Amino acid sequence: MINCRDCASALNPYLDRELSDDDVVQVRAHLEACGGCLHLFQFEESLRRLVRVRCQELSAPQSLRERITLRLAMERTRLQRLRPEL
Amino acid sequence: MTRNPSDAEDLVQDALVRAYRFYDRFEPGTNFRAWLFKILTNTYINTYRRKQGRPQESSLEDTEDFFLYNQLSEDGAERVTDVEDTVIDHLGADAIQRAIDQLPPQFRTTVQLSDVEGLSYAEVAEATGVAKGTVMSRLFRGRRLLQRALWDQAQSAGFTSGSKVHTPSVDGDEHASGSNGVVARARGGTR
Repeated sequence: MINCRDCASALNPYLDRELSDDDVVQVRAHLEACGGCLHLFQFEESLRRLVRVRCQELSAPQSLRERITLRLAMERTRLQRLRPEL
Repeated sequence: MTRNPSDAEDLVQDALVRAYRFYDRFEPGTNFRAWLFKILTNTYINTYRRKQGRPQESSLEDTEDFFLYNQLSEDGAERVTDVEDTVIDHLGADAIQRAIDQLPPQFRTTVQLSDVEGLSYAEVAEATGVAKGTVMSRLFRGRRLLQRALWDQAQSAGFTSGSKVHTPSVDGDEHASGSNGVVARARGGTR
């Protein structure tokens, strides 16, 4: 079984779902046996969730959306002039 | 990246126009968001960073691993297992984004793409033009800095007394979401 230090160093790739299947098994086995590491993992996971959910509330301002639409339309016109086959 | 709303809007527009212009270079089947972020990063490097000169360095100090976990668990034997109901839970979207914006540039972009946009390590590597190992080490250090920055945001928002927020609660969930609204409104309008 892996020790607490190895478990802590696997925390990032584990929560990011970037760990190999074998390593996931090792980490889970350690977490089942070690309450201290389990608490840490749960805390870090809840923090990731908080950051993602809150920040995704922030969306682009309407004025920006409008300017982008306008500039893409202008670009389309320009490209059509350069490459009429499009 | 730009730390300035009007430059950020210009950058997004320029990048999208370039993406549109070079759309035939996109390889179908690969990740479209990662491709867009790569164009965004290149546009930033080619225009804005040159224009601005050296990016302003952040004054964030490096800090220990799992800073928040240790900080929030400190004043009691009880370990905190969820960020909910801690001072951090009371930070609104603006404050959290400010904490991310405070990170030094290479960490800021990596943390934003991974933790907010949900890109994989390989996609972040593609988008930022570095090796996957570099993404991992930037994430490791960037998140450590982010925990410190979140703590600083909570302190400057006035949540300084201990870890747990004492709720004169009727309903825990109700209170938490209500407070976030107040914090978001009170600190809003700067972005």
